[in-house]
Amino acid sequence: MSNKIDPLGEAGLQFYSKVSASISHEIKNSLAVLNESAGYLEDVTLMAKKGMDVNMERLESLAVTMLKQVQRTNGIVKNMNRLAHSLDDPASQIDLNPLLELMISLSERTTVTRGFKVSAVFSDAAITITTHPFFLENLIWLILDFAMTVTGDAKTIAMIPAKTESGAEINFTGLEKLTGKSFNDFQTERVRLMLAALNCKLQPNENKGILTIHLPKNINQPEK
Amino acid sequence: MTDKILIVDDEQDFLDVISDRLTARDMNVSTASSAIDAIKKIDEESFDAVVLDLQMPEMDGLETLKIMKEKNPDLQVILLTGHATVEKGIEAMKLGAMDLIEKPADLATIVDRIKHAKAEKIILVEKKSESRIREILTRKGW
Repeated sequence: MSNKIDPLGEAGLQFYSKVSASISHEIKNSLAVLNESAGYLEDVTLMAKKGMDVNMERLESLAVTMLKQVQRTNGIVKNMNRLAHSLDDPASQIDLNPLLELMISLSERTTVTRGFKVSAVFSDAAITITTHPFFLENLIWLILDFAMTVTGDAKTIAMIPAKTESGAEINFTGLEKLTGKSFNDFQTERVRLMLAALNCKLQPNENKGILTIHLPKNINQPEK
Repeated sequence: MTDKILIVDDEQDFLDVISDRLTARDMNVSTASSAIDAIKKIDEESFDAVVLDLQMPEMDGLETLKIMKEKNPDLQVILLTGHATVEKGIEAMKLGAMDLIEKPADLATIVDRIKHAKAEKIILVEKKSESRIREILTRKGW
């Protein structure tokens, strides 16, 4: 048995662990609000039993807060579920628009904590390709992590998906400090393996501050 | 005497409801939804305790704690965290945090830690006053 850790497997586990940690933090925050809200209701019940006036408007706003937190947690869990299912098949047909939306949600805590804003310019039409969803999500995660080291002062990154003749592309814009050297440094063994597994190419444009992933229409038929 | 506290968290809903509950327990509660806002508030006012969220956008709790302690070494800071790791806990204590509480926390625990923080602050103030009096007595030779 080899002692060498599989770089792709390691990258995937790291990505999954980071997302899980971030999601559990989010859920804990939501639970903290729900916990305090339940406590508030307890306080109000005790006050009412002692004959004190109950502020009905505050109770109404508390109900809204609780519903909002339940919806928020439901959204977080749904995203976690979508990520988990992206490992179901090695090649499945996906639309890049919802995939990027998912990636914005999954990376939001990490990016916002570091003071960055990540957005996407979604296409009106579906941009469908057949790919390995998990590897693509992992690659986007790594690119976002790299992008945060080469953005301009605005600290904003936009992901713009588009259909191409051979498949699709995702443009990461706002990378004003992108250089040939930083791009080469980014292409570690794990990134190279991931690009190979996805049969895709990465193309930097230092002048425009854009990094593009060129994805084939079908992972099993590499882009020419 | 009413406890004067500052709660710092980027979750506005959390701030709203916990400040209502602590106010109902006869505490004088101020809130800040960002580290920058919190630092501004401790510059302007004195608090018995600060309850500070560990993970916040732009500036995290440990960084905020460090700045707060530099500004006021006697400030009693209780950290609130989603997940309390041993490493973070040790780092927080090294930086001078009084306590670390995991979210979601029982309000009775938070109240208990605030009371403890206030007692610590009183001891510190008394010690300072005592040493100042001793210094005056020595200097004046009474």
